[in-house]
Amino acid sequence: MFGKWTAIAKESIDRAAIVARFLCLLHVTNTYIFSPTLVYGPSMLPTLNLTGDVVLSEYISHRLGKVGPGDVVLIQSPENPRKMITKRVVAMEGEVVSFLVDPSRSDRSRTVVVPKGHVWIQGDNIYASNDSRNFGPIPYGLIQGKVWCRVWPIDGFGSL
Amino acid sequence: MSLFQLWAFIVKEALDKSFLVAKFFCAVHVTDTYLCSTALVHGPSMLPTFNLTNEIVLLERISTQNGKAGPGDVVVLRSPENPRKFVTKRIIGTEGDNITYIVDPKNSDRTETIIVPKGHVWVQGDNIYNSYDSRNFGPVPYGLLQGKVFWRIWPAGVFGSIGRRPETVDPALKVVEQSNPS
Repeated sequence: MFGKWTAIAKESIDRAAIVARFLCLLHVTNTYIFSPTLVYGPSMLPTLNLTGDVVLSEYISHRLGKVGPGDVVLIQSPENPRKMITKRVVAMEGEVVSFLVDPSRSDRSRTVVVPKGHVWIQGDNIYASNDSRNFGPIPYGLIQGKVWCRVWPIDGFGSL
Repeated sequence: MSLFQLWAFIVKEALDKSFLVAKFFCAVHVTDTYLCSTALVHGPSMLPTFNLTNEIVLLERISTQNGKAGPGDVVVLRSPENPRKFVTKRIIGTEGDNITYIVDPKNSDRTETIIVPKGHVWVQGDNIYNSYDSRNFGPVPYGLLQGKVFWRIWPAGVFGSIGRRPETVDPALKVVEQSNPS
């Protein structure tokens, strides 16, 4: 009787070990290589939908310093460290940025030089985006990943 | 056994052993990234708490990930000016705090007051005469903090915890004082 229990226990431990190893691999891939991400909100219209898109984001480029102007990136928000936001990199350190301060109300524009180690990010929908025009250039170290392509909805499938 | 069988046996043994090593490195990496890590600190900006030459400290990553790192804590953060460089400083204030600081203590007594914006912290080195910190690069977003320094493990003479106040005396001298009762 006891022998049967030990056999069952051993099998369940073996199965659990396989599941644990799979979750391990999944976690490593999701954190360091690439993972699907749900992005939503109005600030990246028309590139990304209001109600949510699933995109594949990769986590290798920013470690190698390969993020540049035009890339859509995932960033840890400088105003709330628990929040991740999706914006486009407009300028890198040393570049000069001219931007419309509040396009829905006025035509006033400002020019800023991006300081060392920082990037300037803006949402594609400048009328409804809380980005570097509001909180200033962000340190490069806050970039978490680069958006690669969209996988859902299917009719929007493809690189951004 | 044929040559092929021998070779297959050796390969299987090698794979088993290397899986064991890989699992060990996995565990070390998870602990290092999410629990407790080590860091080498050097430089004059945290004198006298940390010496000029290399010291090894333990940092824990749980406080910074849960937003529990506050004023008085020594933290390791990614430099906002060079994302590949890590610096060790002390948190002076968190979001909403009023910070009054001496802009350039070597040359003048001028002070400035600033309110730390939302989601940011103000860090300064304990040695304000020779420290490149928030007085130079401004408040730092909380997301750049990597871990809180809580223990020093090398040199052995100053093994012990790191307090929430800057040391006023070189910690290595304290040991000598105690062993000389008058």
